[in-house]
Amino acid sequence: MLQQRCNFLGPAGSAGFAFATLALLVCGGTPAAADDVIRFGAAVSLTGPLSTEAKQMKDGYDFYVKQINERGGMQIGGKKYKVEIVYYDDASNPETAAKLTEKLFSEDKVNFLLGPYGSGPTLTASTVAEKHEVPMVVAHAASTAIYSRGYKYIFGTLTLIDEYFGSIIDMASKIQPKPQSVAIIAENALFPQAAAEAGAKRAEEVGIKVVYNEKYPTGIKDMSSNLVAVRERNPDILMSAGYTADMLLLVRQMHEMGVKPKLLAFALGPSLPTWVPTLKEQAEGTVEPIQWAPNMKWKDQLFGWTAQDYADLYKKEFGYVPDYHPPQSTAALEVFQVALAKAGSFDPKKVRDAIAETDLMTAYGPIRFDSRGANTAKGMAVMQIQDGKPVVVYPPDSANGKLLYPLPN
Amino acid sequence: MLLTQSLVNGILLGGLYACIAVGFSLIWGVMNLINLAHGSFVLLGAYVTATINQTLGLDPFLTIPISGGVLFGIGYVIQRGLINLVIARSVFSTLVFTFGLNMLLVNLLLVAFTADLRGIIVPYAGIVWQVGTVRIPLTRVAVFASAVVLTALLASFTNRTRLGAAIKATSFDVDAARLVGIDVDHIYAVTFAVGAAMAGAAGSLIAVNLVFSPVLGDYYTMKAFVVVVLGGLGSIPGALVGGLVLGITDNLASVVLDPGYRDAVSFALLLLVLVLSPRGLFGKPFYAEIKA
Repeated sequence: MLQQRCNFLGPAGSAGFAFATLALLVCGGTPAAADDVIRFGAAVSLTGPLSTEAKQMKDGYDFYVKQINERGGMQIGGKKYKVEIVYYDDASNPETAAKLTEKLFSEDKVNFLLGPYGSGPTLTASTVAEKHEVPMVVAHAASTAIYSRGYKYIFGTLTLIDEYFGSIIDMASKIQPKPQSVAIIAENALFPQAAAEAGAKRAEEVGIKVVYNEKYPTGIKDMSSNLVAVRERNPDILMSAGYTADMLLLVRQMHEMGVKPKLLAFALGPSLPTWVPTLKEQAEGTVEPIQWAPNMKWKDQLFGWTAQDYADLYKKEFGYVPDYHPPQSTAALEVFQVALAKAGSFDPKKVRDAIAETDLMTAYGPIRFDSRGANTAKGMAVMQIQDGKPVVVYPPDSANGKLLYPLPN
Repeated sequence: MLLTQSLVNGILLGGLYACIAVGFSLIWGVMNLINLAHGSFVLLGAYVTATINQTLGLDPFLTIPISGGVLFGIGYVIQRGLINLVIARSVFSTLVFTFGLNMLLVNLLLVAFTADLRGIIVPYAGIVWQVGTVRIPLTRVAVFASAVVLTALLASFTNRTRLGAAIKATSFDVDAARLVGIDVDHIYAVTFAVGAAMAGAAGSLIAVNLVFSPVLGDYYTMKAFVVVVLGGLGSIPGALVGGLVLGITDNLASVVLDPGYRDAVSFALLLLVLVLSPRGLFGKPFYAEIKA
């Protein structure tokens, strides 16, 4: 009885089933060849702690899509292809980002990949891309770790973490009289620790003494112990890296504990929309290295925008002035545009090789990849909050204001 | 010297922990309901305070009655209308229910306020007293004092009012309470509402000292949980002592050991208390009668 029931398909049923499967396989084909669309995939932190920053990343991708599709799309091998991006929410979680990247490749069959937000999710997602040999251009992960694994298919448009605190130290070393000491407080996570290490190394190289370099655990609600220890050592510079909530807390508790550095720098913080409204006067003088600002002297090779043109167009489109996240995203897609035009096909290996030869000037800045896939052509600028507004104070040729040093107290 | 500063910081923080936990303890002790949405209630209170402070410029401490009141109303409606449907069943149902409620609240807050971090800097935030080398900020002392006052108010409510007596009676024996004419549904709703109100008030205090965002609520639920187990279920002095102990050990552990060990020490302490005195420091045996 059991055997009879298991054989319910029967000869006609089996044939039909086989035919249907065959039909599916034939009609599946390669999406790109079938229609005039090129599809990119990206895991994005639509929710979770990174969602505020990730939204700006996504808007930057969408800005490019609108601009390129208005012009008919990307030119690849004699035909124009409209650009489409498939997004999935990784909830700011690295494991989810990896799973979604796998899904984008195997189920959605996207042609190429864009990076997620943040070094954590990107580290895992890029491994999936490398495994499947699909080029991924990363726009929002600055940890050197991502580019040091000998991967061939991963490229990043942004300046790496070494330069974050490195540019602060460089700026400090040119101040007269030169600051003598620096204290570093960083969250015990990938990006902040990489920033701290690189910053400490650069400080030693230029002769600024590192008097304090400590980690704090994720989710800390009281940094007073660290700050009291810093106060005892009385450093000229205080640099900190970590999740924004912790940085806001640090500034408030710094004032409570009486820590008064001459220069106060954050790997990420002052450029965020929530910084000045939350901290009010306590935000004055805080400094952050930035990947980009609207007054940088770049002019886009593909679209002809200057950095300011980009900012104006973007504001019209999205209703807010962009910080560096959107143009960083747009640049990633511009890299693909040039590489695809050069390769003339969708073949991942050809496109990968074309990306490796990128030598492009965008509104975001110059892009040239070294052998690791990192963009070493662009440096970082430094901004400072003055009168509640961000002012670029370094390097001198891009500055639209003067560094306020030492901080008045 | 660093130790003294840490001790002071720990005491001040501990008062806040106690305030956050005492509502959680009340709800758990009386209704056998572990409210996983407690952290979200705290955040709701913080958002009420932040909104009022932003639009009317009112000092956050003055908004405590408002945030407490708003959360009281919300708590009453949620309990009477929703939780009451599952409370007669197993503890597990209530856990799942409050877990879902928490997710709902977090996402509603995200839609309403986005994930942007907020905090309130009061005009007098710069006032700091210096006793020797120890610095004591005024805002921290104010938060501590408010937390203690609120906890004391709750204690006098449960000990000296008829409603409080009814709540205590219900926690001793639900059936006997019904027999003497107590409207148990109403009492449960009032208990939950009071617990929520305490959370809301604690949220106002959080807004002054810390920064908050809809995704950061679970931290407070976790702390409340540890404080309640430490101090004993349903006991208000227990919550106060538990909060202080947790605050002090957190801070001292950061200084004496490594900041990374802070949570490890908290949970080790929790385990120790559970092994040595399972009812917590002040817990009484007849609270949290287990319902099958």
